[in-house]
Amino acid sequence: MKKLAYPLLFIFILLPLGLISENPAWAEWENEYYHDILGFIPEGIQNAFALPSIIPDYSLGGLNDVVSYYLSGIVGIVLIFGIFYLFGKKIAR
Amino acid sequence: MHIPDGYLSPLTCIITYAAALPLWVIAFRKLKEKLDEQTLPLIASLSALSFIIMMFNIPIPGGTSGHAVGASLIAILFGPWVASLCVSLVLLIQALIFGDGGITTFAANALAMGFMASFSTYYIYRFFERKAFAPFISGWVGIVSASTMVAVILGIQPLIASSEGKPLYFPFGLDLAIPAVIGSHMLFFGVVEGIFTLIAYRYIVSNKLLKGVSA
Repeated sequence: MKKLAYPLLFIFILLPLGLISENPAWAEWENEYYHDILGFIPEGIQNAFALPSIIPDYSLGGLNDVVSYYLSGIVGIVLIFGIFYLFGKKIAR
Repeated sequence: MHIPDGYLSPLTCIITYAAALPLWVIAFRKLKEKLDEQTLPLIASLSALSFIIMMFNIPIPGGTSGHAVGASLIAILFGPWVASLCVSLVLLIQALIFGDGGITTFAANALAMGFMASFSTYYIYRFFERKAFAPFISGWVGIVSASTMVAVILGIQPLIASSEGKPLYFPFGLDLAIPAVIGSHMLFFGVVEGIFTLIAYRYIVSNKLLKGVSA
């Protein structure tokens, strides 16, 4: 179990490296980008369906970026392990 | 590679959901077959690793960034169906909790980064099975295949949904989407996925973390 947990922990500690990039991914721009490039924002993008995210863009309002990123990582990991734990229980029955 | 809400026409969203639903049902059955006391912790950990690996945004020349996915590692260890479902689960959490990738576009993202990446990885891995570089090349192919699907889905939007010459959804055509998306994944993120898959696979094999898998 340790042989599995230690490398995961190591990668998790490095998580703030993911914040280094200031660049957005291609095709994941802010709406203003389209305004600047095209002179308009495509209607569908402007009026996109949007659910309010609990932790939008992995940042918790007011908290330091690095802390937010670590917390986001923990939330994701806990959810994934939680869901697999429930799968396991359901299948074992 | 996470397509946001509003980037795909409603028709594209419907077709991708219709295509993905039966695949998820099959994948769920396959996952149930594979889950036992030994595999569950490893499959859960590799899914968590996929989530974490996607948080490492790598800046590249040209003002954009991207990331590896982690689908390939699961695909070569547990098969493409399990990998597709694990990555779909990760994408669902990213969409619902973090607004990373859309809800209406979740199926499209799952088809690309889940199914496309996993199946292309799996078959390339099978082809090169006895070669030491197989995990690298299959990881690279997985990401490049996924990016090809994303580029095509995005690039056809102005063709299928425009009004009075103005695109309604994603505005750039195949001429821009294909070089930008596929090119960056061939040169950078595919290489990262390949290296990650190779190192992680070797580690899992040499530490005997999964029975029945040997070098």
